[in-house]
Amino acid sequence: MKQTGNSDKPKRFGMVIDLDKCTGCGACMVACMAENNVPFRKDESKKLVSITWLRVYRLTNGKPYPDAEVCYLPRPCQHCAGKHEGHSPCVSVCPATATDYDQQTGIVSQIYTRCFGCRYCMGACPYHARHFNWWDPVWPKGMEKYLNPDVSARMRGIVEKCNFCFQRYQKGLEKAHMEGRRELEENEYQTACTQACPAGAIIFGDLNNPQHQVHQIAKPNLKKGGRPQNPKAFRLLEELATNTKVYYLSSKQWVQDAIHKPDLLDQTEAQH
Amino acid sequence: MKIDRRSFLALSVGGAVGTALTPLPWKIQDDLAIWTQMWPWTPDPIDGENTYVNTVSTLCRGGCGVTVRKVGERAVKIEGREDYPTNQGGICNLCASGLQMLYGPTRIPCPMKRVGERGANQWARISWEEAISMVAEQLGEIRQAGQPETVACLSSRKYGSMPGLLKRFMTAYGSPNFMTTPSMMDAYEMTLKRMHGVEGRVGFDLENADFVLSFGSGMIEGWGNTAHMIRINSHWKDTQAVIKQIEPRLSNTAAKADQWIPITPGTEGILTLGIAYVIIKESLYDYDFVNNFSAGFEEFRNVVLSGYSPGNVSKQTGVDQSTIVTLAREFARARRPIAICGRGQGTVPGGIGEYVAVHALNALVGNINRPGGVWAMPRPEMDGWPEPILDASAETGLVKPRLDGAGTASFPFAEQLFNRVPGALMAGRPYPCKALLVYDANPLFSMPGVETVREALQQIPFIVSFASHMDETAMMADVILPNLTHLERWEDVAVTDGFHRPMFGLVKPVVAPQTDTMHTGDAFLQLAAALGGSLAASLPWDDYATCLQEGLSSLWTDLDEQGYWIDEGYQPDTWSFAFPTATGKFDFAAAGGNLKALFVPSQPDGDDGSYNLELIPYDSVRIANGPVGSPPFLIKIVSDQVLQGKTLLVEVNPETAHAAGFGEGDRAVLKTPLGSATVRVHLTEGLMPGLVAIPRGLGHTAYDSYLAEKGINANDLMGSVEDSASGLDAAWGIRASLVKV
Amino acid sequence: MDSALIPKGVKRCPIWQFALGLGVVGAVLLWGVYAMFLCWFKGLNQTNMNDYYGFALWIWADLAVIALGGGAFFTGLLKYIIGKDDLKNIINYAVLIGFICYSSALLILAIDVGQPLRSWFIFWHANVHSMLTEVAFCLSCYFAVLTIEYIPLVLENRQLDKIPFVHNLTHTMHEHMAIFAATGAFLSFFHQGSLGGVAGVLFGRPFAYREHLFIWPWTFFLFTWSAAAYGPSFTLLVTRITEKITRKKLVKDTTIQLLAKISGWMMFTYITAKIIDTVYWATTTAPSLGFSLKDFYSNNPVYGYWILGAELILGGVIPALMLITPKIRSNRLLLTLATILAVMGVCLNRWVMVLQVMAVPVMSFDTWAMYYPSWQEVATTVLPVAYGIILIMISYRYLPIFPNEAELNPLEPETPVVAAADTEEAAEEGPEPGLTPAEA
Repeated sequence: MKQTGNSDKPKRFGMVIDLDKCTGCGACMVACMAENNVPFRKDESKKLVSITWLRVYRLTNGKPYPDAEVCYLPRPCQHCAGKHEGHSPCVSVCPATATDYDQQTGIVSQIYTRCFGCRYCMGACPYHARHFNWWDPVWPKGMEKYLNPDVSARMRGIVEKCNFCFQRYQKGLEKAHMEGRRELEENEYQTACTQACPAGAIIFGDLNNPQHQVHQIAKPNLKKGGRPQNPKAFRLLEELATNTKVYYLSSKQWVQDAIHKPDLLDQTEAQH
Repeated sequence: MKIDRRSFLALSVGGAVGTALTPLPWKIQDDLAIWTQMWPWTPDPIDGENTYVNTVSTLCRGGCGVTVRKVGERAVKIEGREDYPTNQGGICNLCASGLQMLYGPTRIPCPMKRVGERGANQWARISWEEAISMVAEQLGEIRQAGQPETVACLSSRKYGSMPGLLKRFMTAYGSPNFMTTPSMMDAYEMTLKRMHGVEGRVGFDLENADFVLSFGSGMIEGWGNTAHMIRINSHWKDTQAVIKQIEPRLSNTAAKADQWIPITPGTEGILTLGIAYVIIKESLYDYDFVNNFSAGFEEFRNVVLSGYSPGNVSKQTGVDQSTIVTLAREFARARRPIAICGRGQGTVPGGIGEYVAVHALNALVGNINRPGGVWAMPRPEMDGWPEPILDASAETGLVKPRLDGAGTASFPFAEQLFNRVPGALMAGRPYPCKALLVYDANPLFSMPGVETVREALQQIPFIVSFASHMDETAMMADVILPNLTHLERWEDVAVTDGFHRPMFGLVKPVVAPQTDTMHTGDAFLQLAAALGGSLAASLPWDDYATCLQEGLSSLWTDLDEQGYWIDEGYQPDTWSFAFPTATGKFDFAAAGGNLKALFVPSQPDGDDGSYNLELIPYDSVRIANGPVGSPPFLIKIVSDQVLQGKTLLVEVNPETAHAAGFGEGDRAVLKTPLGSATVRVHLTEGLMPGLVAIPRGLGHTAYDSYLAEKGINANDLMGSVEDSASGLDAAWGIRASLVKV
Repeated sequence: MDSALIPKGVKRCPIWQFALGLGVVGAVLLWGVYAMFLCWFKGLNQTNMNDYYGFALWIWADLAVIALGGGAFFTGLLKYIIGKDDLKNIINYAVLIGFICYSSALLILAIDVGQPLRSWFIFWHANVHSMLTEVAFCLSCYFAVLTIEYIPLVLENRQLDKIPFVHNLTHTMHEHMAIFAATGAFLSFFHQGSLGGVAGVLFGRPFAYREHLFIWPWTFFLFTWSAAAYGPSFTLLVTRITEKITRKKLVKDTTIQLLAKISGWMMFTYITAKIIDTVYWATTTAPSLGFSLKDFYSNNPVYGYWILGAELILGGVIPALMLITPKIRSNRLLLTLATILAVMGVCLNRWVMVLQVMAVPVMSFDTWAMYYPSWQEVATTVLPVAYGIILIMISYRYLPIFPNEAELNPLEPETPVVAAADTEEAAEEGPEPGLTPAEA
């Protein structure tokens, strides 16, 4: 995926998600499905075969009534860079190069027409960001009209996942090109989930660009595998050195503990 | 023949290379690769010119300002408008799913006439001429017989051009029975009438509040204007406003609040008065307001001090005395405190005593019509329309009492009491209902006590539905005149539901009508024309678009240019002018109500003996609970801790569940005095012991297989409980039990 | 009726019995074929796999069957390269078993991938960094090697061998068998190892991840080693089962003992290495990734410490000790028991390295995922077993798989007329080709 290439400093598109603000409403999940032609079936209650590129998890502190607390955590694909930029857990294992790390944007792509559905990448991903088309997508007659022509509809037997709405980046670049520009403003490339969130809990931008909010909030330290220098920010599974691009904020200690110290939790309720 | 190694090798290698040099293997591989990409049943959306159309979504009560992306003539994405004052770029999950309402086979394609039994779902397609003349004939007959009051019209919204047009039609026709489905706004407006002496609507300046005391309001779960409230919640995080959520269940709102205060269900009003007690006792109230701008304070004070000491309140509510005292002090000492109520999304009003108590609390801290407080605001009007023309028939009909008893001597302050209609219909009093027109409402699903509603509807000989999708009420109709969907029509959204600025949003058609449906506004105009006389004269417009533009002509420039009109500089009346009561002051005594009696909470149906638990409903932001059923995207995001396959999971505290012999996921029969249903038990520490919590919005029996038969309808198991003081539905739950299957 | 096809000097059951046996197994095969078509035409929703269990019964079956088929390459290495000549009595069967195992693996893979028609992308768009790419290439090449090793066995059928061309071809192939054995061993080293690498490189899954030696995780070497160790045990077990069913001794005791001893010592060294690796992983690797050993074995209904014990002790240490102890090894019953424990052990290891990997939650708020296969998965896994049995039945009946068979099961002298004819035939043809062991 080198068509975005130019010799400027590469971008690392990422997110900051404020868990204090996330209300668990799921508008982000719906916007993502609407934007990316995600299919739906009659029964979507078996979440392990339900395709939602962005999934909102529900965390609890495991305490009994009345000290119970709940927090919602939206989890898109984390676009891991790994130990050396490009060594995502999934990219390194795909046998057909159907998923690729774009060095210019930091985005992990998925090539639907090349994937032959071996599901190795799904086993590799600890975030369960990847979904398999166990069925052929079927749209009720007439609903295929709302499909987004910028995103290919998938067929059964292949893997799909969040790609940070890369089609919007491409559209943005096209528009900029028509206007004689090469760079996009921060608000010219935003993912569907970021845009939809009524709480403004998701912020998206270029982690490498000091003028972008995500950089200013997370302050990633590239010398230390992208670790956030903001003490309120954290990433999921930091200890696995996946070097993800999604930073979370929470002012609640129990949430930070729940993410970092698994042995402190007695019970977890992770669904959706 | 002797074969040696060389010739063997030569043969094999030669054969392989030879085959490779032919197009055969490559063509086959290439074909296979392409074929697996291009299966005929994998859709390939066609590209086209991209345009955006701004409109307002009517799917949720909040009316999210949206911009719809089109590719050619197809609408492909609904996104929030960044410049829209309420949602400011965000969008609620229902409005985001809107394209699934526009497209798809579940839409009613054209007018339908019932053939076969009511509810049998057998229809004949008819033309619009036939449909309009059918309805006009029925309505004409009833009018001829001199009984125009026996026609009723139901809408979910109260304000805006469509409710306005329907009400106008009913007025010109001669029926006082323009009804709206119940909501907390009925209670709030009644409170304003009783305590301010105004017929207004309520607004909450929540953006500027710094201490919010919420009595069970699902602020981030659909209370008020959903997307707007979620945005306000984030704003509160930034300004570090303090939020206290008081309810029996750890809702999402409670989870995001600074403190969750569990309370025995139904006793929220008692807690309010307990807080008032402390504020009064410790003289923490706003002296200026109470002394100079209020009346009836003595009476209020006496009732509170004599019956609502923290000790007493603690016993009844289950809230610690110290918590009550602390809450009261924090609330009173905050710079901009506000108290709100209306349980969940506010679809069930509640007893008027609760609202009077909460409003009194706001009055005590002097936030009425102040920044960060509760405001009495003017109701949106269709200013541009002239008065309707009434003939003798209309005059006679209009003075008859309403079917729901609102505005009669028993319920002088009420305007809408649809919860009383089933009882009235069954009794045939004050008169039978001969026809019901249902617009943008689905009472056979959303009204508590569904079976009672069904029986009542059976009493009505002629039911007309204007639904665009086959909902439960449409299934019971005799004729359906399907409306255009929200993306195909002109309309306005009068922004209410607590928004603190007068505002109108403009709904614009995004795509051409996809099927043979008609704007209900146009249908009514045609009906009026068919009925002729004063009706035709009162609704003289050629089409609905003209009618809309005329009605909002003073705002039309803004509406046309930016898609909304807002009075940014609006300020509510100051205290000197805000209370046109007999005394000219705020009335703590709520217009001569017996406060003591008013404050007694309603009791749930059922007796202690057979039912040892209480069932309370909760509203989920992920389940559409209003006139619109959850589209597939929305039902998809419902948690598997709520719905598993078609089975509903009810929430139970682990202690309570184990005592009844149930573990996580166990099947159980949930029984209430109204009925029973098989469910599964979900254990949660986020619920008081002794309760069972059930979500509203599931259990549809109409629509399509993406929604129908999933879960159970909470309204099947719970009915309404009439508040004697106001007539409003004050049910907060019902007695229940969980038994083994 | 088909006596002309049956190798010289051995007896076979009446053809109706044979047909009946084929029919019974064939019915099971058909059940599997039906399930296979269901999966191909309806999609993988026919299985109980889900997004947490992308790898399930089939992948386990693949790994297990390839490990068990490791007897082919290792016995070949021992016989042709290292020179353990006595193994010539079992090498044919090992090759046949290997052929069945690898063709089964390929069949299951064809059903398992979401888009079988795109399978060739793994060669065309190969990602050199992926362990599965390596597996695909080496597995395909090795299957070709196995086919080449199996072809001469087929061609040694009595009637085929009569054709001079065929006879010479077979002879030529036998002459060069060492090259194929060496190639096979080389390829096996890599793909057996890469299958271990499949799990070991998953740095997102601390349960599977292991430290690396250069680019290879330690599971790479452990898998190759375990295939070499346990494969021969599987060969021995299948041989024993075949002997039980045919009620004949088919392979000389010395060969059995030799292979068992080698397998035992391989197992012993393997399990020592495996235990060291497990301890290091449990005390160092997993904790460095934020996990303790108990995280992997608690809070779920199935995976407890018992499975670790079963794999290492019951399926590793005990059969190893049994097979290296001559007194125990020489007791055929105990030897068979040891091979059963061994087969269970390697199957458990493959199960753990696939399914438990999928089951263990990694994100702290994630939950254990449990899985059981659907009937379609079971049927399609039983399918290759049925196919294997049928191929063994046919091969055993018509091909001279066991060089020792005639010697160990001398036939009654036949009626004079027949004997004379036979003797005449025998005089014409020269030495019995079916009983000529392959010589380097």
